[in-house]
Amino acid sequence: MAVNTIEQQALLELAPTRERPFQLTDHLSAVRAASVVVVALLWEVFGRQVNPLFLSYPSAIARAFVNLLATGELLRQAIGSLQVFAIGLSAALVLGILIGLLMGRYRLAEYLLDPYVYAFDATPRVALIPLLLLWFGLGASSKIAIVFLSGLFPVLMNTFSGVRTVSAHLVDIGRAYGAGEGKIFTQIIVPAALPFIMTGVRLAVGRALIGIITAEMFTAVTGMGALLVRYSSALATDKFFVPVIFLALLGVGLSNGVERLQKRLAPWKETESAR
Amino acid sequence: MAQTTDEQLIDDLGLRRERRWSLYDHPNIIRTASVLVFLAVWEFYGRRTDPLLFTYPTAIIAAFVKLLVSGELIRQLLVSVSALAAGFALSLFLGVTLGLVMGRSRVAEALFEPHINALYATPQVALTPLLMMWLGLGFSVKVAVIFLFAFFPVLINTASGAKNVSASMIEVGRAYLASRGQIMFKVVLPAALPFIMAGVRIAVGRAVVGMIIAELFTAITGLGAMLSLYGNIFETAKMFVVIIVLAVLGVTLIHAAQTLERKMAQWKETERAVG
Repeated sequence: MAVNTIEQQALLELAPTRERPFQLTDHLSAVRAASVVVVALLWEVFGRQVNPLFLSYPSAIARAFVNLLATGELLRQAIGSLQVFAIGLSAALVLGILIGLLMGRYRLAEYLLDPYVYAFDATPRVALIPLLLLWFGLGASSKIAIVFLSGLFPVLMNTFSGVRTVSAHLVDIGRAYGAGEGKIFTQIIVPAALPFIMTGVRLAVGRALIGIITAEMFTAVTGMGALLVRYSSALATDKFFVPVIFLALLGVGLSNGVERLQKRLAPWKETESAR
Repeated sequence: MAQTTDEQLIDDLGLRRERRWSLYDHPNIIRTASVLVFLAVWEFYGRRTDPLLFTYPTAIIAAFVKLLVSGELIRQLLVSVSALAAGFALSLFLGVTLGLVMGRSRVAEALFEPHINALYATPQVALTPLLMMWLGLGFSVKVAVIFLFAFFPVLINTASGAKNVSASMIEVGRAYLASRGQIMFKVVLPAALPFIMAGVRIAVGRAVVGMIIAELFTAITGLGAMLSLYGNIFETAKMFVVIIVLAVLGVTLIHAAQTLERKMAQWKETERAVG
């Protein structure tokens, strides 16, 4: 301790000025805030000079946002989109998990189905949109089909590989203690594969959101995607940005929600196959 | 050596048992049977349905031959692929450059990060109508959409790769009086390469999706335009041809990226296995 006090005394006597010179790296959040403010200001100033048909500016977008919110247009279309999204996504989750469990557990199911699963998974889903429109028309059913197909494969593939990684020991022990096939599924395989399944769910939510937007942009009748097409063809650029921002927030909100759910349901395993 | 003695021991004790022939040891038999049955059923029922809405395998093959002979398929494929190459090259160049800068400079990271995050969170499809408004319906809008789809995976992976370069390697470089440029190109870039290649692999798949979306919307040239054209005139068999070509294109490109990734980023695997 004595050494310490001597050192401190020495430091006090010498009084080295330890002022750090100003460095930008010490004020990163200020840099970040400044960057946002400057870009918003530049956008506002230049956006006002440009023809409003081509580029809008932040305050006009904010005004359009309030307008669309006040007339209820935004909420009505959003609810329409979300209903279709929910139906298609839940169908995809249920079927994806079921097929994934079957394919992971039973080799016969795996070998029978994997040619189709891999072929479908490789096909860009957007390429199927014109075909689905041809078959299901422009109504809700074609949108549900597109959301379903967008969400199905991430869940299916992740569930499948999750079940495949369940250690055979766990299943053997379950069997040794007389667990039936149903119990092995619900109490061993599903919990062990849950982190993978949840990763699949998170991917599926993102894909399904893109699916619903693309589908609605093509049918261009109802929903957020239809709003995008309508405002852009009407050259109402300020209104166009409103659904864009809304969709971005929705995407972030949904993926945060699923991530939280994932941490809650499957906190024991952090590993995930990022596909 | 231990293994051979085990094997000998088994032989000596007469414990070797021939495994019974099991179908599960020959999964390709099951797979082939599954696919053949599916194709036969499709052919059988497909011939009975309305050819405007549905089709069958032999009709698809006939349509494929016709489109190949007329040169239509090759011509549109070349148009699509050239847009893909241009957009992808642009996203690769800008993504790697900006990613290296953001990964090495915390100030640059703070400057760009809010905007990158906002753009990345926005579903990129939603921006397609805006890009069409700005750039028209030609080649440039396709390149822009492909760029937008492929840019972020490259950028984000490059930035995290550059950030994770071990400080000691850079210290050694500095100690040997390497210039900033030399450190960037001879230390940081090679060390970040495995990350960059992982980003490239993801970006390739997304670029194909972006290409299809852009062409479906502009609907003038390219495979996506063929798809939307044949959908409008109810040529279902030709639609299937285009969908299959797109799937094969996607798989080939992703496979090529994976091979390249394995080739260029070999050393990381071993390094990671140790660490």
